[in-house]
Order: sequence, then structure tokens, then C-alpha cells
Amino acid sequence: MVRSPGMDAEALEREGLAAAAAASSTDAIEGVRVEYLGRKSAIKQALREVRDRETGMALNAVRQRLEEAIDGREAELARADLDARLTTERVDVTLPAGGYERGRLHLITQIRREVEDVFLGLGYRAVDGREVEQTRYNFDALNFPPGHPARSPLATLFVNDDTVLRTETSPSQIRTMEAQQPPVYIVSLGRTYRRDTPDATHSPIFHQVEGLAVDEGITLADLTGTLDFLLKKLFGEERRTEFRTHYFPFTEPSIEAYVSCHICDGAGCPVCRHSGWIEVGGAGMVDPKLFEFVGYDPERYSGFAFGWGLERIAMLRHEFPDLRELWRNDLRFSRQF
Amino acid sequence: MRVPLSWLREYVRVDATAAEIARRLVVSSLEVDRVIDVGVADAGDNLSFLRVGKVVVADKHPNADKLQLCQVDVGEGEPRQIVCGAWNFGVGATVAVGLPGVLLPGFAAPLDERPLRGELSRGMILAEDEIGLGTDHAGIMLLSDSIEPGTPLADVLPVREQVLDVTPTMNRADLLSMVGLAREVATLCDGELIPVAVVDPPILHPQWVEVTVESPEACPRYLARVLSNVTVGPSPMWLRARLHAAGMRSISNVVDVTNYVMHVYGSPLHAFDRAALAGGRIAVRHARAGEEVQTLDGTLRRVDERDLLITDGERPVALAAIMGGANSEVSDTTTEVLLEAANFEPIGILKTSERLGLRTEGSNRWEKGVDPYLAEPAAVLASRLIVDLAGAELSGSADVHGGLPDRPVISLRPERTDRIVGLEVAPAEQREILERLGFDVTDGWDVTVPTWRARDVTREIDLVEEVARVVLDRVPHTMPLRRSVAGHLTRDQRLRRLVEDVLVGAGFSEAYTWSLVASDPDPNAIRLPDPMSGDQAILRTTLLDGLIAAASENVDAGNDGIALFELARVYLPVDGKLPEERWRVGGIVAGGFAAARGAVEVLHDALHLDFRPVRTTLPFLHPGKAAATDAGWLGELHPALLDGAWGVFELDLVELTAPIPERILYDDVITFPPLRQDIAVVVAEEVEAAALVDAAIEAGAPELREARVFDVYRGDQVGEGHKSVAIHLSLQVPDRTLSDEDATVVRERVVAALVERFDADLRG
Repeated sequence: MVRSPGMDAEALEREGLAAAAAASSTDAIEGVRVEYLGRKSAIKQALREVRDRETGMALNAVRQRLEEAIDGREAELARADLDARLTTERVDVTLPAGGYERGRLHLITQIRREVEDVFLGLGYRAVDGREVEQTRYNFDALNFPPGHPARSPLATLFVNDDTVLRTETSPSQIRTMEAQQPPVYIVSLGRTYRRDTPDATHSPIFHQVEGLAVDEGITLADLTGTLDFLLKKLFGEERRTEFRTHYFPFTEPSIEAYVSCHICDGAGCPVCRHSGWIEVGGAGMVDPKLFEFVGYDPERYSGFAFGWGLERIAMLRHEFPDLRELWRNDLRFSRQF
Repeated sequence: MRVPLSWLREYVRVDATAAEIARRLVVSSLEVDRVIDVGVADAGDNLSFLRVGKVVVADKHPNADKLQLCQVDVGEGEPRQIVCGAWNFGVGATVAVGLPGVLLPGFAAPLDERPLRGELSRGMILAEDEIGLGTDHAGIMLLSDSIEPGTPLADVLPVREQVLDVTPTMNRADLLSMVGLAREVATLCDGELIPVAVVDPPILHPQWVEVTVESPEACPRYLARVLSNVTVGPSPMWLRARLHAAGMRSISNVVDVTNYVMHVYGSPLHAFDRAALAGGRIAVRHARAGEEVQTLDGTLRRVDERDLLITDGERPVALAAIMGGANSEVSDTTTEVLLEAANFEPIGILKTSERLGLRTEGSNRWEKGVDPYLAEPAAVLASRLIVDLAGAELSGSADVHGGLPDRPVISLRPERTDRIVGLEVAPAEQREILERLGFDVTDGWDVTVPTWRARDVTREIDLVEEVARVVLDRVPHTMPLRRSVAGHLTRDQRLRRLVEDVLVGAGFSEAYTWSLVASDPDPNAIRLPDPMSGDQAILRTTLLDGLIAAASENVDAGNDGIALFELARVYLPVDGKLPEERWRVGGIVAGGFAAARGAVEVLHDALHLDFRPVRTTLPFLHPGKAAATDAGWLGELHPALLDGAWGVFELDLVELTAPIPERILYDDVITFPPLRQDIAVVVAEEVEAAALVDAAIEAGAPELREARVFDVYRGDQVGEGHKSVAIHLSLQVPDRTLSDEDATVVRERVVAALVERFDADLRG
């Protein structure tokens, strides 16, 4: 389109704005831009030829308004193009993608870490005890009397006359106390061994968590408070706990910890054998004989200890009937946890 | 032990219900496995339908040969007509009668009046099994003729019983008795103890009883009593019912008395047929090697010097404390009984019982340690009952012991109790608890222990426990007051968690496999002298076998994506010492060598470790796909060990983690960006990638920061026996941006080195 220098700026603007508004594709708006704002466009020519300031300013204002209108229309059309493309790119969001294989920690490791973390938070250290242990640490130092059934080869796996596969994690208590002065706050978790024929609730190899606190002024109430805290972390804050008298050679007084049944909440069901309570494990105040063995002053220091089976906690919490699953390593089991 | 409550209440007066008693016992004394209801339901007026009756007429049923037609006086004025199938009674017998309306155990509906073979039966004459008092159904129960007809049956027999099933801990042999439990219940439930009322029968015609004890350390007391003119026969119904409720079988009046008294006091007794004892004599001694004794279960048992025997001086007549001998058992023809009320030391009995695999009610008590003082009251009560129930006469007694142990005296500081328990228990309450439990407490807190607790309570802390257990349900929940706190994982513990987490992230699931294995590659691996089975005989020195078994289990299960690791200990033998327990991480993964290498590589990367495997051979690995590292090995499992291509590895945690840098120093790779170049060289097949990379780095230093093989190509274009290795080079210096000219120079240095060292041929 060729126009005379004495063009009608207002008409040009009207025409240009209408063309921009009418453009229906990004290609079309590009054509509008070339026609109205390109080097050969009427307005550019007029601007080149203008000589008076007033006309120049007016023309420039027209150019600017056209440019804005064309930019605006172009952005609208580009957005419409994008929207149109995106609507065709729909995927089935319910389709699995895969690509990342994730393994699982063993269930016992998961519980082990939970227990460790509870006690790390309470300011305890975690101690790795030995599994092959002298009878001196496994029995003598723990005040097992001669003739105690646990000392029999019918109950314990012996390596030789004075070496056994530890029957509980407690020897680590003695070794820790031998190595340091109070205060002692430790947990020790690991494998333990007993001559039990494998069945749904027994395994000759199993896992225990051992806790020990020795300090000035440690009380039985501190023990029940600590175990109450742990049990609620493991089985739920709404659980109730109960402690019952018991007997162990290495603690005096000795207790056993119970938690209200998480299945029936105490009403009675097969899991808790209709008692409303589930036995979790033994505990007690460290017997002064143990302090004598390691050279602590029992008048100055007192302490508590507990030793629980991790398999039992796992079975109770996750309700699987046979602990041999934990050794079968079938991925159909592991992948559930 | 089963504890019938009606029996227990004979020794303690207490208001508490069975459930309340069980609750208190379970917290403070011993395990109560359950409370069992036995006998006739005590609902509505059910018990009122059970009466004592006297048979006034007993004729054959006119229409049935096997039935009796009776008239029974049940205190109603007029006798009732009852049809009965039993024949062990006649006119004058005192019997138990169920009236129409009674609901008997095991019946769906109450008894009703109905004709039996044409004759109306208005009730039922009861056998013991019909109301849960026993198992005998051979005839109906015969009651003592002194009981008035019409007496409620519940007044004379425990037709309705609640039984506690209890298990004491091994230090509380005293709780394996009615008297001991009564004492606990009196203490815990504010009850009143009722002493056992018994008068020792007189000895009218004394005779000499010869007892010698050659092993007093094993048998510190032997009390023998002789009862003459004994008539062995069935026990009366009350005794049969009690034993039944306590879970014991009735045998004969004499044997039942020994079992009954054992339950009362917890001190087991034995009755010999004295005629079977040579000279009527008892000699207690250890067995001789090779000696044999036939116990009354009929088994011939070989014993040795460790086992204690009761003999008559000529031959064994009992396996002491465990089981009587068949040769001296009380029988229907016995007329003279030697009653043994002895005391035996626990350890020897426990060992013999374990060795012979023979546990009895008696051994179960002896092995826990029985109070030697109890022998006497037990002997007195048993004598009384045998005199009363078997028409016998007490005619001799001997009590052999070397002095009974003194009662220990312990000083208690009541404030010490509070300090240990964390609960204030007033001294007066502590005193009351101890006194109710049988302790004597002086004003100055010297506490004398009762004989039945003398083995178990020897120190102040033991007294603290006695108080603590009684107040256990009042103990508050507190936390230790800490002056310092230092909870942390050690470096090794943190790194073990990291290793686990990295492998889990890489797709491996954690396995737990047995530390005890059937065989191990290390011939010195520790072998258990007495393993549970051949499969669990050796303490492993490698995790591999367990992992192969775990993978195989998953193959059999049809699982896919099998990738397993284990982080556990192995047990390396050390001469004359405890083994060295080393943490190892092992893995097995479908996908052969590459899969194992990928896992080990990512593990090294996560730990900030260089990974420099070198070719090796190991008998359990594919000979061409095996590598060693400083910490262990990796490779493809030898296919003979498990079908398929399996990547396996095992690394020692100490070796693996030792070189981990303590802290990592910043390296500026951001300010001046790297220049990247790729080269490809053709080399002989046997040239290993790591050698090329090492040579490149050496020649390209210092500008060459990294050289990484990203492709290996074999084919016609490179010729037989050769491969083309593409290497990515990354050049960077910390103080300026390198130019293309710089890069060309370095690249030429690298290529020249590869050409010279490996006869490499630059491609393209």
C-alpha cells in the first residue's frame, strides 16, 4: 500500500488497530506488524519525511499505540497457540512410570533405628556389644547363680567351656561399666542366641535391645517412666502401660513391662489372650552385685536396665503370625514395610 | 500350678473376688495365666437344685435290666423317684442329686422331669464328671453318710469352683503352695491368714525307723514316718474334687494325701510300701556309675554318681526328689507306709532332671529350693490325713538333719527403699508389708527373714524389693534427672546407617541371614562343639552363603527385581582368644557383574571414596568377572552356585570406611568453567579402562581434571582383538578460563601418552 505524504494519521491508526484486532494467527499478526510498522510502512515513511515538531510527536504517538496493540495481540495469539498445543499433550496421570527401584530396610532394622533414635533423643549412646562372649560376662558378672537353667547347654549355645553365643545383650552393660565411670546411659541392640527350636514364636537367633542407666539417684520410677515413654513411641501415644513384679538374676527389684493391647484397647482379644495386656519384656533396678563386679559404689549409684526382644515388638505391632518370616527374606514380605 | 479358690480361702479370709485377687497377684507376686470357671454355673438359683440325698429304696427298674429305680430323700419330706444307671450303691447310700431345673456343665438345657422306660424320673443321681469334680463315670459319687439329706451340695463339695492358673518366678518356690499364696493374698488384699489346724496323731506302738543319709549336702533333711495298719482305697469325694480342680489325678487315699499336702505346703512328699524296703530301712546316697532304677512310670533309667537315690540299703527304691521306684510303690495290698518328708538341694535335682528329661510336680519344686522347715508340718498333716482316711496308726518317726539353717537377719533403712523406688512409702507401711509377709522387724529395723524366703532374701535390696512389689502399682513415671547429656551415634554407627540407606536407595532390600552356617570356606572357622543341627554348626566368616540362599528363596517364590544386601558380622577366628567380630556388607543382585559393580560404585561415591577394583580370581566367582578392592571383592557369582547371572559383593566395613576423609575441602569448579573434549582410541582388547584413564590423567596434568570412559565399541571397523574406547576429558584450572589452544596442547599430550604406552590409535 502506498500512501501520500499528506496522509491521514488518524485514519491510519484506526485501520492499523482494526487489522491487529482482526489478526487470527501469529503469522497474520506478523504481517500486520510489517505492514504498519515495517521499514516500508506509511508511518515509518511519514516519520522520515516529517519536518515540524508537532506533526512528528503526533505521528510518533500513533506508532507507539500501534506497536502496543500489535504486541498485545501477538502475546494473546501466542498464548492461544500454547494453550492449544498443551491441550493435545494430555497424559494418563494414572499410568505408573517406574524407573526408580527402592529397596527396604529389614523390619528389625527399622525398629532397631526407632528404638535407637528414641534413646539418642533421651541422651543415651548406642553401644555395639560382642556376640561371642565369655561366660564371665554372659553369666558370672550378671549374677546368674550356679545351676541357673540358662547356664545349661540345653538352653545356651556354647563355643567352649567358658565361651558362649551371648544369650542376651546384657554383657554389653558389664563391658561398658567396666570401661567407664558413671553416669552411664546406653542402649545396645543386636543378635542374641538361645537353644530354641525354631517355630512361629522362637528362633535360636533373635534380636534384643538392652538399655542401661546408672547415675546418682536413679529410681524404679525413672525406669517405669522411661519404658512408658518408649512403649508409647513404639505402640502409640494412646497406649497405657503396666509394670508387674518379676525375677531376673541381674536386677532387683525386677519388673516386666506390659502395654495395653493395641488391637482391643484392653477389652480382651486373642492377641492379648483376653487379658487386655501384652507382655513386652523384662526390666529392673541393676542388682548391687553387678556394681560390685565393675567396681561402682552401690551406695552412691543406682541404675536401671531392661532387655527386650525386637522380634516380639515387630510381631505385635505388625501382626504377622510367624517370626520365621523375618529370616526368610522373601521380598513379598520385606516390601510391605 | 492350679489354685482352686475354695481351697485357698481355707487359709485366708478375704473379701476380694477371684478377679480382684488375680489383679493384685499379677502385679505384685506372680503370673496368673488365667482364671478358670469350673463346675456348675452359679447363675440364678442354679446351685439350689443340687442337694445331698439318701437312698431309701433301690430296686431294679421293672422295664430295664440296666437301670435302678430309686426313692431318694432330698429333705423334702417325701422321697423322690429317680431312675439311675449306676449300680455302685444301694439302700442307705448318701448321694449327690440334681433336681429338675438344674443346668449341668456341658448340657444345653436344664434337667427336666421325664419318664425313663415308663417310670418318671424326678431328678438325677450324679457322677463326679457330671458336675466337673472329676473324670470318673464308672459310678455315682458316694458321700459321707454323716451328711444330712437335703443339705445343699455346694456346702459339702466345690461344685462351683474358680481356679487360678499361676506360674511363680523361679525364686518363689514358696508360692507353689496354698499356704504361700494365702500369705500373699492376705498381704495384698488386706486379708487374714488362717493357720492350718492339725493335730499330730499320737504314736501308740512305737517302732524303730532306720534312716541314714550319706549325702547330706544333697539331702540336708530326711524326715520319715511309719504308718501301720493302712487300708489303701479310694479317696473321699472332697479330696478327689480338690485334686481334680488342682489338675491332679486321684490315685489312692495314701498317694492323694501326699499330693494334697504338697499343694498345701509346697514341700513334696513320697509314700513307700514299707514292706518292699529291705529291713524297712531308708538310705540316701548318690548313685554308682552304671546303676539303674526303674521309676514308677515303668521306665528303667540309668543313673550315675551325680544322681541322688533313695535306697533301702540294698537297692534303689526312688530317684530322689523326682520320682518313686516301681519296686516300692504303694498298692492296694500295702499295709505299712513309710512316708518321706525330706529336703533336697536344688542344683543336683535340676541337673538330674534335665539329664534324664524327667520333670515332675516334685522336681519342679525342689529345683527352685524348698524351705527345709516345711518337712515337719507337711509330715504332720500327711500323717493326720492318712490316719483319718486310711484307718492307719502312726507308729514311728525319724528326722535326720545336721541342724536347720538360721533365719537371716538384715538391716533395712526405710529411706533407702524410697531412694531406690522413687516413691515415698511410710516406714510404718514398710513394716506392715514385711510383717504380713512373715518377716520379723525390730524397732531398730533389723529384719529377720522367714525360713521360706531364706534362700531368696539375703540383702537389704531384697527387702526393698519386697516393699516395692507390693506398692508397684503406685510407682509414678519419672525420667532420670540428668546433669549432662551426650546422646550420639559413633562414626561407625552413622556410616553403617549410611551404607544401608545408600543400598536401599539403589534398590537393594535388606536381608537377615543366619550367623550359624553348615559350612564355611575358612577351615579355621569356629565350630560349635554341640550345635543344634548340622546346618547351624559354624560361625560364618562370610555373608555370601546366606545371601545366595536368600536369593534362591526369592527365585523360588517367583519374585522379580531381586536385589538383597546384608550388613552383619562375621566371626574371624583368633588363636586362643574371642573371635574378631567384623562388620561386613554383602549383596546379591540379578544382572551379573555390572549390577554388582554399579552398587559398589555408588556406595563408594556416597562415602567419598575412590573406587579402584583390580582383576582377581576367587573360587566362588566367574573367573573372568571378579574384582578385588581394598575392602573386599565383587563379581559375578559362579554359575555353579546359583542359576542365572548374579552380581555379588562383600566388603569389610572397617577397611571400606577407613579412608573416608574426615572433612571435605571446597574445590572451586564454578568461577572458571571447564572445557570439555572427547577422544576415542583403539587399543588391544586386554587393555583395561582404568589403565587408560590413569595414563591420561598423568599426561594431562595439571589442566586435565577428569577423564571418564563413556563408551566401548567393538566391531569390524576396529578389527579383531581390538576395541575403541571413548574417553571424556574435562579440563579446568582454578585461576583462569582455558582457551581452545590450551585444550589442543593438553589433548595432544594425552594422545601421545596413550599411543606410546598402549600402542593406541586415535580415531577420527
